[in-house]
Amino acid sequence: MISKEKEFAQLIKDNQGLIIKVSRLYTNSLEDEEDLFQEIVLQLWRSYDSFKGNSKISTWMYRVALNTAITLFRKKSKSLPTNELDINHRDFIEDDDDKQQQISLLYTVIKTLPNVERAIVMMYLDDLPYKDIAENLGITEVNARVKMNRLKKVLKEKMEKNA
Amino acid sequence: MPEFDLDSFKKTWQEQPVVPKYDNDEILQMLNKKSRNYVKYILWISIIEFVLFTAFGLFYIIQNKESNTFITSLQKLGVEKNEQLVGIFDNIYLVIKILTLFVTGYFVAKFYENYRKIKVEEDLKEFISRIIRFKKTVNAFILINILIVVVFTSALTIFGMYAIHNQNTALADSSMIAFTVSFIISTVLCVLLIWLYYRLVYGILIKRLDKNLNQLKEIDSQED
Repeated sequence: MISKEKEFAQLIKDNQGLIIKVSRLYTNSLEDEEDLFQEIVLQLWRSYDSFKGNSKISTWMYRVALNTAITLFRKKSKSLPTNELDINHRDFIEDDDDKQQQISLLYTVIKTLPNVERAIVMMYLDDLPYKDIAENLGITEVNARVKMNRLKKVLKEKMEKNA
Repeated sequence: MPEFDLDSFKKTWQEQPVVPKYDNDEILQMLNKKSRNYVKYILWISIIEFVLFTAFGLFYIIQNKESNTFITSLQKLGVEKNEQLVGIFDNIYLVIKILTLFVTGYFVAKFYENYRKIKVEEDLKEFISRIIRFKKTVNAFILINILIVVVFTSALTIFGMYAIHNQNTALADSSMIAFTVSFIISTVLCVLLIWLYYRLVYGILIKRLDKNLNQLKEIDSQED
């Protein structure tokens, strides 16, 4: 019989992309990113029993990961000031792949947003329905939609400006 | 860059190559690591505060020297020690003792209850609100303790005045002023120090939580 720990480890391994993305969006160094990843895994493990069967894996993972990144993580995830965009973007210029460069720039641009807005954009990009985005944050669906529409304009402006 | 459209970019985002960083063994190892999260930090500070303030309260309850010291001070001012005086003083002391114990007991229960309610799998707004509620319990505990200190010191001052007045003790103006001023200064200093600590430690801790909560409230108050 497979142990609970092993079952959990497999679940994390299969879904680590989500945790990596959250960790990357809420930290500014590789070391912090790894620390946050570990903290999210720990918090997921602690709430594993209460999750089992109660909600969708993605909903549970998003909630725990975002709560940990925004509220629990002991290092501040300061928004990057807009004038740092160029410097950060330059780090990715050497990437060969055009798409990868765009993704890197998008990460940098999203990091200039406040914590809650980063979460909305990330869930939107990962195709979560507005109902789930709203439920994960504790806001209304209508307001999540309104906010996202405004954010689309902000991101478009920032991406085009920093391209 | 051509026109950027977030919706068209969704597919690229979702297909971004995320290199798996950890295997099963590494994930299992993470489960044994210590969590150094923010709530834990708040919890430890709160526990230390509870212990300190409870010890502070108990110290006053257990030690009997206080009543002797205070009455000796009054004697030095010329007040005569008698049964009535000691009786009134003991009654004031008893009320403060019972109040302190009751307040501590209530807050320990409330503190534990609010801590247990914090669940990381809740929605972000509720999660932050619960942490703030938890922290507010501790804040209220400290504020009430400050209030008890003020009430206790005021009661002692009034009692001293009453004893002096009641026994028609002739007191030099300078002694009377020194008596009153020393009580006022010690009370103000005590309250000031606790207030300063409260502002420094909690101000910083709660500020970050409030910032995120305000972002959520701002989103919820917007209109199309």
